[in-house]
Amino acid sequence: MSHLSRRAFLTKSSLAAATAGLLASAPATALPGLLAGAGTEADAAVAEEGAVELGGELEGTVVAHVRDLTTGEISIYSGTQETVIRDPGMAARLARAAR
Amino acid sequence: MSSHREAPEISKDPAADSADLYAFVSPDKPDTVTIIANYVPLQGPAGGPNFYEFGDDVLYQIDIDNNGDGVSDIIYQFQFNTSVGNPETFLYNTGPIGNLGDAHWNRRQTYRVAKFQHQAGRIVGSNLVCPPCNIGPLSTPNYEALAGAAVGKLADGERVFAGQRADGFYVDLGAIFDLGDLRPFEQAHNKFGVSVPPQMNSPAPGINGTKGLNVHSIALQIPKALLTKSGVYPTDPSSRSSVIGVWTSAFRQKVRMLGSNGSPTYAGPWVQVSRLGNPLINEVIIPLGDKDAWNATGPGTDSQFTHYYNKPELAGLLPVLYPGAFPNLDALNKSGKPRADLVAVLLTGIPPGVVPGFQNSMGTTQADMLRLNMAIPPTTSSPSNIGLLGGDAAGFPNGRRVFDDVTTIEIRAIAGVTYALIDKSYKPDDVATVVHQGLTSGPNDLNAEGTAQFLPGFPYLGQPYAGWDVPADDTPTMVSSY
Repeated sequence: MSHLSRRAFLTKSSLAAATAGLLASAPATALPGLLAGAGTEADAAVAEEGAVELGGELEGTVVAHVRDLTTGEISIYSGTQETVIRDPGMAARLARAAR
Repeated sequence: MSSHREAPEISKDPAADSADLYAFVSPDKPDTVTIIANYVPLQGPAGGPNFYEFGDDVLYQIDIDNNGDGVSDIIYQFQFNTSVGNPETFLYNTGPIGNLGDAHWNRRQTYRVAKFQHQAGRIVGSNLVCPPCNIGPLSTPNYEALAGAAVGKLADGERVFAGQRADGFYVDLGAIFDLGDLRPFEQAHNKFGVSVPPQMNSPAPGINGTKGLNVHSIALQIPKALLTKSGVYPTDPSSRSSVIGVWTSAFRQKVRMLGSNGSPTYAGPWVQVSRLGNPLINEVIIPLGDKDAWNATGPGTDSQFTHYYNKPELAGLLPVLYPGAFPNLDALNKSGKPRADLVAVLLTGIPPGVVPGFQNSMGTTQADMLRLNMAIPPTTSSPSNIGLLGGDAAGFPNGRRVFDDVTTIEIRAIAGVTYALIDKSYKPDDVATVVHQGLTSGPNDLNAEGTAQFLPGFPYLGQPYAGWDVPADDTPTMVSSY
């Protein structure tokens, strides 16, 4: 199984990048979400650059949201999960691609 | 609907918009509590061919707190699934729908229920069926039978129903949101110097803004012993453990994208977009700038909103809108004293010693929940639609029954009637003790103008209005100019 670079991931995924400002996020709620195998905002983990391993074929939609260009904070949504990474370089590339 | 279209964002999302919440000891099964959460408000019954339904993309919850911290101890979570039998027709049904398995019924919803308790969750009901919408005598010739067959049972013995109902909430929306007009008292309104229709210069009965409209209800009937923290059947009205706090909430996934063919795709965690405990809170107490945030939070953090209860905007408006009618309220407003009465009634529950023989307090946590003292038996003889204000401890704000006139109750409370409970030197204005919205003939009238006949048993809210016959009753007076 070949591992994808983050750049390849960005190219191959169904991806949307919102580059404008911070999304006003609601407070976390104590929603167990069993029915949908759901994650909540409380589950969102902040991962440092390089901590996210990606590989194999992607299933379902993956959405990236650049929350803050200055810190490089990007939310990645997949299924009912949200993962937050900090990658200023990637955030800048996404912003450029969106122009 | 005590909380319909109450905040800017949720007003654009009817499928997730909680409209009313009821919680009461079941009058015909007093060992149980019935909880009803209404969504999809203001349905015109003729709204086809795609009739109203729950959102497959919405998570609906009924939340129960049994230890007073404003956090869910028991959660019932509902998720719906819509299926289309024949995509080649535009019709909701291709013939009369005789039963819930009828092949003529082309677009149907099923649902499953999960229950969370003690940090664990499990599925307690699967493939439960919603009844169709009530269309008319050709399509749904025996609606009562269809709805009756849709009452199901969950794993722990709870009864459940999810589907269309006649809206039982009655409120004069048209007048109240026209700068606080109460038709029975509109001759006393200041009218802002505007030239008004002559009939506004004399008292008039209210007009029910929800007349002939439907909602979608999620109803549960739960044995009382399943609701207490200890699992013990509550019998002592003076015990804090006899009280539960109830609210409903709805969630959507964070991301929604439309494909090039318009079909949506979802991603991300669930975010709360709607909640409802006591009636009319987000509608009337919370100002515009905080309404969306209020909907996104849980009751456990409601102390951040307490200042709105302590100085409600409506209390300040009443003496202005009705000059001379509320002098004592005006003086109370100007004194700057916080409305600790409203905080007790709506945020903490009424502690022992305030109303003789009654309490529905769970402690000091300020949380907007519909608090129900389950040890107080249902009132079966001459119940009062103004609940506790009418001496009927089985009604709002001790939970809420389908016929309670919560609008009148809360107007009177905000007008100062309940302040006398905490300050014996305060005399409520005479008007405050009798003000009403003009939709009932009196406190013992349980069938307000324009409401459907309530049912004697579960799910209590009446059969929905059929599209076929409601337009015939739709005869508004067209007034092009005043």
